[in-house]
Amino acid sequence: MFDGLIAFGHSLASFLDPLSLGLILLSSLVGVVIGALPGLTATMGIALMTTLTIKMPSNQALLVLICTYVGAIYGGSRSAILLNIPGTPASAAACLDGHVLAKQGLAGRAMGIATSGSVLGTLIGMFFLALFTPVLGNLALKFGSYEFFWLAVFGVIIAGTLTGDDPLKGWIAGLLGVATATIGQEAIYAYDRFTFGSRDLAGGFNLVPALVGAFGFAELLVTAREKVLPVKINPFDSVIPKLVDVFRHWRTILRSGVIGTFIGILPGVGEDVAAWSSYAAAKRASKEPEKFGKGSIDGLMAAETGDNACVPGAMIPVLTLAIPGSAPAAVLMAAMLIHGVRPGPMIMIEAPTFVYDVVAMMLFATLGILLYGLTLTNLLIKVLMVPKPIIIPIIFVLCVVGSFAISSRLFDVWVMLGFGVLGYVLRRFRYPVAPLVLGMVLGDLMEKGLRRGLVLSDGELTPFFTRPISAVLWVTIAIVVLLKVPGFTGLVGRMFGRRKPLDAG
Amino acid sequence: MAPAAYPASPRADFAGSLALIAFGCTVAVLSWQMDRFAQQGASLHTAPGLWPGILGLLIAAMGGLLASRSLWRARHAGWDAARRDDTPLAPRSSFALAVGLFFVYALLLVGRGLPFWLGTALFVSLFVFLFQHASRKARGTVVRGVAVALLCGLATAAAVTLVFEQLFFVRLP
Repeated sequence: MFDGLIAFGHSLASFLDPLSLGLILLSSLVGVVIGALPGLTATMGIALMTTLTIKMPSNQALLVLICTYVGAIYGGSRSAILLNIPGTPASAAACLDGHVLAKQGLAGRAMGIATSGSVLGTLIGMFFLALFTPVLGNLALKFGSYEFFWLAVFGVIIAGTLTGDDPLKGWIAGLLGVATATIGQEAIYAYDRFTFGSRDLAGGFNLVPALVGAFGFAELLVTAREKVLPVKINPFDSVIPKLVDVFRHWRTILRSGVIGTFIGILPGVGEDVAAWSSYAAAKRASKEPEKFGKGSIDGLMAAETGDNACVPGAMIPVLTLAIPGSAPAAVLMAAMLIHGVRPGPMIMIEAPTFVYDVVAMMLFATLGILLYGLTLTNLLIKVLMVPKPIIIPIIFVLCVVGSFAISSRLFDVWVMLGFGVLGYVLRRFRYPVAPLVLGMVLGDLMEKGLRRGLVLSDGELTPFFTRPISAVLWVTIAIVVLLKVPGFTGLVGRMFGRRKPLDAG
Repeated sequence: MAPAAYPASPRADFAGSLALIAFGCTVAVLSWQMDRFAQQGASLHTAPGLWPGILGLLIAAMGGLLASRSLWRARHAGWDAARRDDTPLAPRSSFALAVGLFFVYALLLVGRGLPFWLGTALFVSLFVFLFQHASRKARGTVVRGVAVALLCGLATAAAVTLVFEQLFFVRLP
């Protein structure tokens, strides 16, 4: 306990130099602006910053990326409240009540609520990050090939189930992502799969260009497809958060913080699901559920606390299992690998202080968003007023540069274009993109788990089903899938319904 | 879910399902044709094609499920039943122009010998000019529009070159 606190103190102190503090201020600002701009998501922002920070020392680079991540998730609420356009998907829930409050002339108060919710949400998530990571890290040491296989399957299934509104399409998107990960040389015989003689394809797809394409370029294509509507910003009052809003809604803050962190821990289920789940839970618990969607402070507080609590939550599986808890966390994990940090079960043995470094980075990022939450409104409004025809080509230039800069290959620019078109087509046909990305990230882990497991058991499938942790995982997966099979819950209900009279009789 | 409550129409889903079945079967066939290293004494469970083969079959099976669901929905609610989407769309021609400009920049203007700053300035200026042209023409500010477009192009090229190449030492295409 005290060892952890001492390590956290050391981590905090290590960032108290002028350069680090400057980087915190700058990257939080970049994050907030990226989040506020519709068309630029947190995933895209972190991918771009990964290329910018590639020559930096690892701790400073990750500090920049985490501040950008936290800033972007917070920044999305600004355009949600002021324009009724979520800057990031995570802020969609904030539109419902935030914009209604803005139309009532209470945009400043709404932004204050968003600031206090985001800050407190991140702090709650940070607390759980510091608490759970060492415990889960130790548990993860018990995982073998069989368990990692099922964990990766669980990640893709749960992301497919929760991120869209059609689980079948979510699972298909996840499978496509896993299939994409098989392109290139496989691990045992270095055999070229689906490369068709291309040397570039032999290395497989780099994650960053694929993500920039699937989230950045695809989003630009969606934006270009939609009609440009005139931007109208309502007048606003003071943006300074009111303590009374925090005290009056402390239950909502705590509940949403816990829900957001838990959703973050689930592989691939990101901030948008956290915001909606927290919103739904707040509505269920509220004495005035009829006010939700009509300017409810409880609703806005829940959505903003939930999505920001998800950020530290999403880091827990990254650090302990090398499984990203959300799409932006997937890029962050790729950035960690680029910078020589190896997340996964061994992290508490190889670099135990790194976890506290991440917690300290989150704390500094929280201070960054608090600062900009109080001061940045007018500048952000000016940014939001920049016409779309100017913003779109600039973002596309950044997509191209960001994809190229990781390995200095034009091939990566083509990968970005390809994944952008794929992401756009999938979205047009209403497939969620997050499971595709998680499938790409987890595909390698899944295959290694399966093939290593089969080698260890000499082709025997039994250990995949009988080892205790494996059994828990596959039974959970089966339940998650069966619950989404049409008619299954009805069938179970009828079975129990039929048994009751028998029992009674 | 009710047959009409899905976000995409049965027609779109059915077309997608056929593509998925074709894709899954192709992946499975290509995986089956991969070397199994049997001459080196390798067993089937270490074959490089095992995992992609399983995935191909799963994708085809999921495609089959989607196809059967689309047929069921079409029978109950019609081929075009879907949840309403009221998002106002831009004309197809302007979308095609934007996509064309994206691809020309990424495939022809970048990394083909033209200096990065020049290609970027050209792309951004052209994009801004073309997409603001109609509104500027209506307001009679076309000349100002040209100046704004050029300024945006040159400023973006200069800022990206300065930040990426000079400040963070990142190579540009």
